[in-house]
Amino acid sequence: MEALKQRAIELLEKGEVKAVLGYAKGTGQARRAFFARQPGQVDKLVLDEACTQNLAAYATKHEVKKLGRVAIVAPPATQRALIQLMAERQLRDGDLAILAVDEGAIKELGSAAALEEHLALKAQGLDAKDKTLLAKLDAMSREDRWAYWQNEFSRCMKCYACRNSCPMCYCEHCTMDCNRPQWVPVASHSIGNLEYHMVRTMHLAGRCVECGDCGRACPVGIPVHLLTISAEETVHELFGQRAGAKAKLDYALSTFKTDDKESFIR
Amino acid sequence: MSRIGVFTCHCGENIGATVDCAKVAEMCKDIPGVAYSVDYKYMCSDPGQRMMQEAIKEHKLDGVVVAACSPRMHEPTFRRAVANAGVNPYMCEMANLREHCSWVHEKGEATTHKAADLIRVLVEKIKHNEPLFPIKVPVTRTAMVIGGGVGGIQVALDIANGGHKVVLVEKSPSIGGHMSQLSETFPTLDCSQCILTPRMVEAAQHPNITLMTYSEVEKVDGFIGNFKVTVRKKARKLDEKLCTGCGLCIQKCPNKKISDEFNEGLGTRTAIYVPFPQAVPNKPVIDTLNCTFYKTGKCKVCEKLCPTGAIRFEQEDELVTLDIGAIVLATGFKLMKTDVFPEYGYGKSKDIIDGMQFERLASASGPTSGVMKRPSDGKEPETVVFIACSGSRDRSKGVPYCSKICCMYTAKHAMLYKHKVHSGKAYVFYMDIRAAGKDYDEFVRRAIEEDDVKYIRGRVSKIYEEDGKLVVMGADTLMGGEPVEIRADMVVLATAVQSNEGSEELAQTLHVSYDTYGFFAEAHPKLRPVETNTAGIFLAGACQAPRDIPETVAQASGAAAKVVGLFSNDELTREPIVAVVNRLPAPAYSHCVGCFLCLSACPYQAIEQEEIKSRSGEVIKTLARINPGLCQGCGTCVATCRTKAIDLQGFSNEQIYAELMTL
Amino acid sequence: MAEPFEPKITAFVCNWCTYAGADLTGTSRIKYQSNVRVLRVPCTGRIDYMMVLKALHKGADGIIVSGCHPNDCHYTSGNYHARRRWMVFKKMMEVMGVDMRRITFSWVSAAEGARWAQLVNEVTDQVRALGPYSEFRQIVGAGIE
Ligand SMILES: Cc1cc2nc3c(=O)[nH]c(=O)nc-3n(C[C@H](O)[C@H](O)[C@H](O)COP(=O)(O)OP(=O)(O)OC[C@H]3O[C@@H](n4cnc5c(N)ncnc54)[C@H](O)[C@@H]3O)c2cc1C
Ligand code: SF4
Ligand code: SF4
Ligand code: SF4
Ligand code: SF4
Repeated sequence: MEALKQRAIELLEKGEVKAVLGYAKGTGQARRAFFARQPGQVDKLVLDEACTQNLAAYATKHEVKKLGRVAIVAPPATQRALIQLMAERQLRDGDLAILAVDEGAIKELGSAAALEEHLALKAQGLDAKDKTLLAKLDAMSREDRWAYWQNEFSRCMKCYACRNSCPMCYCEHCTMDCNRPQWVPVASHSIGNLEYHMVRTMHLAGRCVECGDCGRACPVGIPVHLLTISAEETVHELFGQRAGAKAKLDYALSTFKTDDKESFIR
Repeated sequence: MSRIGVFTCHCGENIGATVDCAKVAEMCKDIPGVAYSVDYKYMCSDPGQRMMQEAIKEHKLDGVVVAACSPRMHEPTFRRAVANAGVNPYMCEMANLREHCSWVHEKGEATTHKAADLIRVLVEKIKHNEPLFPIKVPVTRTAMVIGGGVGGIQVALDIANGGHKVVLVEKSPSIGGHMSQLSETFPTLDCSQCILTPRMVEAAQHPNITLMTYSEVEKVDGFIGNFKVTVRKKARKLDEKLCTGCGLCIQKCPNKKISDEFNEGLGTRTAIYVPFPQAVPNKPVIDTLNCTFYKTGKCKVCEKLCPTGAIRFEQEDELVTLDIGAIVLATGFKLMKTDVFPEYGYGKSKDIIDGMQFERLASASGPTSGVMKRPSDGKEPETVVFIACSGSRDRSKGVPYCSKICCMYTAKHAMLYKHKVHSGKAYVFYMDIRAAGKDYDEFVRRAIEEDDVKYIRGRVSKIYEEDGKLVVMGADTLMGGEPVEIRADMVVLATAVQSNEGSEELAQTLHVSYDTYGFFAEAHPKLRPVETNTAGIFLAGACQAPRDIPETVAQASGAAAKVVGLFSNDELTREPIVAVVNRLPAPAYSHCVGCFLCLSACPYQAIEQEEIKSRSGEVIKTLARINPGLCQGCGTCVATCRTKAIDLQGFSNEQIYAELMTL
Repeated sequence: MAEPFEPKITAFVCNWCTYAGADLTGTSRIKYQSNVRVLRVPCTGRIDYMMVLKALHKGADGIIVSGCHPNDCHYTSGNYHARRRWMVFKKMMEVMGVDMRRITFSWVSAAEGARWAQLVNEVTDQVRALGPYSEFRQIVGAGIE
């Protein structure tokens, strides 16, 4: 923590970055995103177990890009999001100083190549809780799974908090806002909710960095991240690749192998 | 409100017997937006079309659904008819009442209802159709042929004779390719040089052909009709305009011991050289790797002797950029080396040679002037073993395919040997004899029956040297696998035909596909064998798959016909069924977010990047753009784009959505 | 007496293989059940999963998605892209609890007229046996006043 603060102050003082994007205390135990613009504000930064939010979602925002070079506090999932965003050309290599945080240790990474190398050293594992939940879903009968999601979605009010929190949902014009034609109904009734989550899941398959933020963001506690994560895992199982690993775009759904294996196409 | 006309065709009894067409026409009148609905016996007949055209005018129709047969059959007919009545042809759709309804279902209420449904879907679609206009792409009428073997030469000559300019790019110092190395050719045994040389000269002298030998394609931009090709002209170290080809320099070059590529290492050449006497152009190049001057800084004998002062030691490579309308790839093949066969002692013995080396030994212009002498000691070989399928059809060598030409040239080689050494013994080990082709099987039979070549069906398991002989151990599978041992003086391996050196890189430069073995891929294995899937780039010869000369030449003429066809108009007209990325006013510019996830989805590399710049030239946004000259309208990118920024004209999101909403 | 249940089947097919194959079914006068409604697109690559979702939304009881066999795509690789998309889509739908017995993916070439008829018949019979997709229809109705 001290090392982080020290580096943050240095970066700001030397003018190497215009702001340091990290975490600060929110209400109660919660942590919120915080931009330290002056060295004096660095003291507000905190770094602990509760700092789970994927700050990469801010990095693509217009307002943030306008600031100039920014340093970003990046736990593993954020690192993955950043590299994926670079691959998808939403962030430019070198526009960010990445303060990679891995189990307390801080490492500054200035380029996509350095980030890629850093990520290659780590194994990506699912959160234990999510793993159990996914296994539970998997064990259910189809009817029960349907009922489970219908029950969960019945609370969805289409606030789009999941979408807004997701670092990969940076589209300026989301499909959900598409009205010519209105592919997905705007209303948050059963079919509208179902289609929203189906479509978003498909959009994240091969792109989800498995940070779990969408699930955490949901004000009514729908575990939507299980959907995107399981889609991402599907992509990994089927095609042996993951999002958030390479700085060069390698999107599983816009490439193919002539011998991709499936057993259901008649 | 649309004014759509529905024209239901009976197709005589074809539709009429199963579907109640009059009722369908009646039902369609109630569909909102339908201004006119009628049924008729034969819509595609002249009176049928005329009736439709009159109705279009009389009822001021702005869209037409023809409910008849398959659009794959008559869509062009009816679109033309609609256009002649003054309505944009793309405002016409066809409901397939015949193939998809009347012919496949029983007569009855349900079938009539289905017919009306099929129409309803298209009425809703048409409400979202937009007038489309053919896409015009200007065409530069100059072709580039890459590779100057017999295939490339033929393409160049055919296009040039069709009245168009051709640039023929060849990487080696002379055109001619493998055919110039051959002695005699199957199945006629005519001399290869004798039939090829006139073609080479014709190509060189043709007013429409520009030869660029000792040159390679470095970069290709653009698209069909409008390529920009950068060619690297490697430095010959010679002013070609001054050189008369007298050859004095070659005679006097002191550096004479360089292994000769043209003779497959069986002879030597000088550092300044032409690959072979009949080379076109007959202008030498300096091999800077072996030239004494480049190695030691001293010599320049050639410069001193050249009567025209043509030698240019300081000359550098030159890059030339050309405007090209179509490209033909004819870069040929290479042979598998003999050193990959452990069972044949890795080809270490000098007397284990490949087919091309045999061609040089048999050639009158070769290192032995056509006299049979084995490489190791120059003795006349008394026994020669030929091994077909060396590496071909052998998964362990990475070549599961048949090289196609080896059966034939092996028979040829055995024959040529027997013609030269009458007392000699020739054995051929083979797996199968594949001699399909005009006069081909007869040719092989001649080798066996008239020239007494011994054919043994079986594999050779080992070759080793003993007392100046090569002991060939094999088995005769037709004799129940009985072991065979032959003490030979020379062994000729018919090694596999492989894709040429650098094929994959070249394919990547040109954005054409290639198969697992590096051969260029045709656009369709049966129906578009001379096209690649990149519009405007065509294929000829052994660069696509192993081929012999007649096939190469036939394919070359096919490719040339494609190019001449393309060049027959100033502009290329293409169907407007293409994808477009939407454009919006600032500050959004487009729904495209510039993620370029679509880029690699396009089978035709039609998606490009476009930068939106501010007045001061700063890049504000990078967007996808679809090149209508390249897009074939598959729609793969459309389904890939999350933000629905791309749409496909003719099958747009709104059209499909509207269709779906009627179901 | 209630009318016997007739399923609604929507098919998405590519122009060059399956649509042509279905044309051949016609020219060969092979009969099949009339429940299916075919939507023609240029290539399987164009078949957005949105279309499948909308067909379900509109009350389809069964869906057929079909195009050129691998290696036969008119556009060389649209079907390979589609195949990957379907592989992921199918799994996503399963996770959501959708009854995937109702969605059939297949390759039908321009030469397989008989196969098209057989496919349509099999799917129609299977979906008829499954009954209406009430589970889905229910949620389409729910919450819309
Ligand atoms: C031993 C042997 C014997 C044969 N005998 C016969 C026979 O008797 N009868 C018969 O019909 N066929 C025979 N063939 C087959 C014949 O050689 C081929 O069919 C023919 O050469 C194919 O012509 P091509 O123009 O496609 O390729 P090639 O002859 O290989 O010519 C390709 C040309 O392209 C050039 N090139 C390659 N890459 C590039 C590049 N990147 N840029 C520019 N130029 C490039 C090469 O230098 C070469 O000049 C024989 C083949 C072998 C190996
Ligand atoms: S979908 Fe959810 S888990 Fe995946 S990257 Fe987005 S926020 Fe993270
Ligand atoms: S749901 Fe899809 S379209 Fe919408 S923001 Fe996320 S990725 Fe973009
Ligand atoms: S067109 Fe769509 S997929 Fe392509 S770059 Fe734009 S947003 Fe991305
Ligand atoms: S429609 Fe097909 S060919 Fe055209 S740009 Fe899109 S993917 Fe490429």
